[in-house]
Amino acid sequence: MEFDVIVIGAGPAGSAAALTAAKGGAKVLLLEKGPEPGSKNVSGAMIRTEEIAKVFDTSSMPFERKVKNVDLIFMDSTGKVRISVDISSGLINVGRLKLDKWMAQQAEKAGAVLVTKTTALGVEKDGEKYKVVTDRGSISGSKVVLAEGVNALISMGMKIRPDLEPEHSVQAVKEVYNLNKDEINKRLGFKSDEEGSSWRIFGTNPVPYAGFLYTYKDAIAIGVGIPMSILVKKKISPYTVLDELKERLGINELVKGGSLREYSAKVIPEQGFPSYRACSGKIYLAGDSIGLINALTFNGIGPAVISGSIAGKAALEGYECFKYEEELMKDKEIKGVVKARPLIQELTKEENLNYYVNFLGDALHSWAYGSLSLNLDMPRLIKHLMLGMGVLKA
Amino acid sequence: MRIEERLYTLRYKRDEKPHLAIIEPNKCQKCAEINGVPEPCIVVCPANVYSWVDNNRIVVSYENCVECGACRIACPFDNISWKYPRYGLGVAFRYG
Repeated sequence: MEFDVIVIGAGPAGSAAALTAAKGGAKVLLLEKGPEPGSKNVSGAMIRTEEIAKVFDTSSMPFERKVKNVDLIFMDSTGKVRISVDISSGLINVGRLKLDKWMAQQAEKAGAVLVTKTTALGVEKDGEKYKVVTDRGSISGSKVVLAEGVNALISMGMKIRPDLEPEHSVQAVKEVYNLNKDEINKRLGFKSDEEGSSWRIFGTNPVPYAGFLYTYKDAIAIGVGIPMSILVKKKISPYTVLDELKERLGINELVKGGSLREYSAKVIPEQGFPSYRACSGKIYLAGDSIGLINALTFNGIGPAVISGSIAGKAALEGYECFKYEEELMKDKEIKGVVKARPLIQELTKEENLNYYVNFLGDALHSWAYGSLSLNLDMPRLIKHLMLGMGVLKA
Repeated sequence: MRIEERLYTLRYKRDEKPHLAIIEPNKCQKCAEINGVPEPCIVVCPANVYSWVDNNRIVVSYENCVECGACRIACPFDNISWKYPRYGLGVAFRYG
């Protein structure tokens, strides 16, 4: 059997690519290594509906809760500062298994053939076509979309992009606690079962980290990401940092009576397109496999969907590489990811994370006590402001 | 909470063939000398897949793996052969 387009990976990028190519009339194969779409995927589980709606019909989108506030929490060694931002609409907490299945189903409805429990091992040139080698045999296709996720073994093996380095990777761990709906509503102050919350936590103890909390209908997810090089240098395990964060934030009290339902982990890439190539011949890379995650806004699913849809179009039309990469760069969200990278790399440096968390803590504590004293490091602030302006203009 | 208690929450279908392997055991000894103990792969692994035994070798409990990929990246000697389990085996998340 032969396909026009073979998509590797049925996550948000892969399903968006398969849906776009199938809608355009191509014969599409969507390969997934897990037992079902989403079963091997881990994320912070928050999406921006308008980004998903650019590709998928969101009228039946499965969601957990609608985010009504995003809380920013800074914790230094002495105390914490908490800022709550009301959100009027558009931010949604989702469960990845349900979301990814729903995305893959839309691709299937458009005509794509989904095959699960099949791991792609490599892609070989076969005359004008490509041979995709899997653990169940080989299959031929004219174009290939690689939506492999962060561990992009095929893309790296083919040298389309470089390998990941500890200096540019964040290691994240996450726990999901179940709790009944009413208890979640009561403990987090929600007025209905649809209301939800999202926390962003920045801390410095025992190492600098960025944490998160999300709400499902009947569960609460708490997690933390730490620059991998810091873990290696300080010889601290990621779950030790998560335990510290939970202790400091009183999470054990918050989920009291509930039980741990799932523990998971994920590597978050800090580098990628356009310093990585996103294409080779008629092979197009999308999503996490080319580092399309915006760590400033904690958004990876949106850029994955958008890049996947561009990859699907590229495969359908047989774009040359320059054209595909140009189309990626034209997109507002993807441009935002690219522009944010220099600032993110600065902010995830140990000394900078420490500085900002302590700076905000000191400034706001002193203000709360009645006098505002600022420990300004002008050169640092100006440098980051300049980098930030590049991001804000995007 | 012990790491084992966290791992009990997960659904696994075990692949009889290990999907993780140390390529050159000698390099782990060298790594321990240079980087100290615990080595980078042991530190970053969220599932205690790696352990340093008898002060001379790494033991790989691949059955615990949550497939995040961190160990391969952290290994300073590129000494970990890292693949996904075959045929959809390995871990399967419900929330993700």
